[in-house]
Amino acid sequence: MTAWTTLMAVFDWRSWAVLRRHALVFLRNWRTAVIPPAMEPVIFLVAFGIGFSGYVEDLSYRGTHVDYATYVSAGLIAYTGFGTPYYEALYSAYVRMFYQKTWDGILATQVELPSVVWGEILWAALRGMVNISIVSVVILLFDFLGVVEVQAGWLVFMPFFGFLAGAAVASFALIFTAIVPAIDHMNYPVFLIGWPVSLVSNTFFPIEPQNEALWALMQINPVYQLAECARGLLVLGNPGTHLAGLCASSVLFLVPCTLLAVRLTRRRVLGS
Amino acid sequence: MTTAILEARGLTKKYGDRVVVDHLDLSCRRGTVLGLLGSNGAGKTTTLRMLYGFVPPDEGAIFYAGKRFSDHRSEAKRSIGVCTQDDSLDYDFTVAQNLFIYASYFRPRVESLERRVADLLDRFELTPYADASPYVLSGGFVRRLLIARSIVHQPSVLFLDEPTTGLDPSARLDVWELIDGMRAEGLAIVLTTHYMDEAERLSDELLVIHQGRGVVRGEPHRVIDTALGDHVVIVPRGEPARQEIEAWLRSKGAQPVATVLGELRVPVSKEILIELTARFKDATWQVRPPNLDDLFIALARQNGRFA
Repeated sequence: MTAWTTLMAVFDWRSWAVLRRHALVFLRNWRTAVIPPAMEPVIFLVAFGIGFSGYVEDLSYRGTHVDYATYVSAGLIAYTGFGTPYYEALYSAYVRMFYQKTWDGILATQVELPSVVWGEILWAALRGMVNISIVSVVILLFDFLGVVEVQAGWLVFMPFFGFLAGAAVASFALIFTAIVPAIDHMNYPVFLIGWPVSLVSNTFFPIEPQNEALWALMQINPVYQLAECARGLLVLGNPGTHLAGLCASSVLFLVPCTLLAVRLTRRRVLGS
Repeated sequence: MTTAILEARGLTKKYGDRVVVDHLDLSCRRGTVLGLLGSNGAGKTTTLRMLYGFVPPDEGAIFYAGKRFSDHRSEAKRSIGVCTQDDSLDYDFTVAQNLFIYASYFRPRVESLERRVADLLDRFELTPYADASPYVLSGGFVRRLLIARSIVHQPSVLFLDEPTTGLDPSARLDVWELIDGMRAEGLAIVLTTHYMDEAERLSDELLVIHQGRGVVRGEPHRVIDTALGDHVVIVPRGEPARQEIEAWLRSKGAQPVATVLGELRVPVSKEILIELTARFKDATWQVRPPNLDDLFIALARQNGRFA
């Protein structure tokens, strides 16, 4: 199977059949599944946004003054767009692969391995999309209450931007899913990558590196691009270059990470 | 004789320098059961994984209905059902939903799926559990559901990898009946098992794999006769002439296949048995027909010199 056919498997009915399976399971448990993503932004906005706003008086975003709660609300979209697919592709996919043997069952059908991987990527990105939608509703509510001040109409687009970044993040996470010996080892991608990325992507505080290499590294980080794109739209109604940056960085991550994830998963699951 | 629906020629698989499957040929016709036998590490699992497309062979070719698997992969995978040894049921769904979701992984779609699922639930006696989680099923019923699931899309070839391992005798017999029924409907079934009685009773043809090679093949009785001869002499542990008998049998070219709890088991031809009876009139021993257990043990001990 060539790299091209592996990548094109995203359009194959098999990948969508796997996605459908995951979606059906989610729909069975949606009541419990939507509570955490609804509560998390409330806690963050109250604790960090309102709590820190008193200490962070002057926060300038592209020449415009924003209060900290508004700054953080865009960060929450990026944080959710990163965290949801990342952990879904790490933990949930691992459980399906290793403990539940769900992948073994699927692979005994007409579905091929690249479609299983694509199904996981699409599902993780879709979960991110769902959770960003919930976060957006919470932000809208806080905007209505006057806690944050955003251009609310742009919130409609956030889940779609989140899907892009989420697919990239999920493909990256699936590399670890394919190689960690046991679920306890997931602590490494969580603490060494998950937490740092979720913090240094202009989510909760701005970072403006002077070093060119660090600056370049930030530009290829889809979570940073998602945060800046969301913030640009919600604060100024203009994403600047970050919408293009989001698309480019997501593709830049998605293509090699998916190919690597398929290769490593094939070795682990099929032994070849 | 009908044409083989499954045929593999010269299958070879290497992992590094180790040859796991070595130029293996096999075939299976509609309405027959091919029993794949071999000790642990013989290459059965790798052979199966090549046959259902998990790993590609390094050499050789696989044909389903005369079409080369590597060229018609999707079509071929639509025509095969796989029931793996591990429990890979989808525990996020109910018993009936397991059949529906599994059917969704095939194209063209299964015709009249609702009726097909209802029929399978009925036939495999799973209807009372249709809306329950597979967690409530006993081991025997889990196996029933796994088999039902593997044929929901109406395949032509079914792979059953140790379908009765871990089941109690009653559940095993139930699975035998199901396999027999599927064979009667025209399915070509490839069966692996460690139970020799199961292989002997269910298989129309046996293929014994040893060190990756097919060492004996044919109908079960023919395979046993060819490999072991007509009879097995069993000399009990307490028999005073045991050593003398063993030495005499060895001098005649008969090799003991096993010593089980001190009891000597030696396959012999009819002629040797007549001589043995005449020579050791006062000794005590038993005679029975050879079975697959003898073959299996002999194979393991004699390093596969049966081909």
